Amino acid sequence: MTLRVLSPVAGQVIPLTDVPDPVFAQAMVGPGVAVRPESAAGDAVSPVDGTVVTLHPHAFVVATADGAAVLVHLGIDTVKLKGEGFTLHVVKGESVRAGQAVIGWDPAAVEQGGRSAICPVIALDAGVDSLIEVRGRGPIAAGDLLFTWER
Amino acid sequence: MADDRAAKILAAIGGPDNIIEIEPCITRLRCELEDGGKVDEAALKAIGVHGVVRAGGVVQIIVGPEADTIASDIEDLL
Repeated sequence: MTLRVLSPVAGQVIPLTDVPDPVFAQAMVGPGVAVRPESAAGDAVSPVDGTVVTLHPHAFVVATADGAAVLVHLGIDTVKLKGEGFTLHVVKGESVRAGQAVIGWDPAAVEQGGRSAICPVIALDAGVDSLIEVRGRGPIAAGDLLFTWER
Repeated sequence: MADDRAAKILAAIGGPDNIIEIEPCITRLRCELEDGGKVDEAALKAIGVHGVVRAGGVVQIIVGPEADTIASDIEDLL
C-alpha cells in the first residue's frame, strides 16, 4: 500500500538534514522532507486525506483511515510564538481532504521574529527506507506530491 | 496512553522538585529544569524515548506523537 503525501506549502524542497533542529534533521520521529516556504502569507494545507488528530497553532498531525500519521510543523521553535500569527481553519478531530486549508500563517513574520520558517513534513514512526518518489531540491507548489510513503 | 511512562519520565528527569516547566510540542517534551545534570538519559532510553536533546537550560525529550498526553499525565503528578 502506498500513501501520496502532498506539500502543505509552496516553496523550495530541501532535505530533512538541512533543517536547523536536531530532532527533525536526525529523523528522530520519522523520515520526511522539508519545504522552505515562500514568504507570502497563506494557508498550510493537509498533506493527506484523514483526521486531524493533533492540532497546535504551529503544527498538526493528520492520520489516515489506516493509521498512517503525517506531521506538518510550520517553522522551527514556533511553539514559542504561543499561536500568535497563526489562524486555525479546522478543529481537532475534524476530517480533512488532502489539499484542504488547515492553518493560516505568515512565514515572513516568523522569520522577522528570528526563527526559521522551514516546514518539516514527517512520516511519523515510518521506517527509514519507506519513503519513495521523494521530491528533490527545487520549487514546489502547495498540494504537489512531496513523497510517497510505502506502507 | 494510560501507562506509567509519565511517572518513569518524571523520575528520570529528577522528580517534581526539579521541574520548572514542561511544555509539550507535538512529538517532544520541552523540559525546563532546575538542574539539567539530574537527567538520567540511560533511564529515558530504557523507557523507549526516541532521543534526548539538550539546548541551553532546556532538555528536550523526544517521545513521539503522544507528547501532549504524556505532558498532561506528568502535570497530573506534580
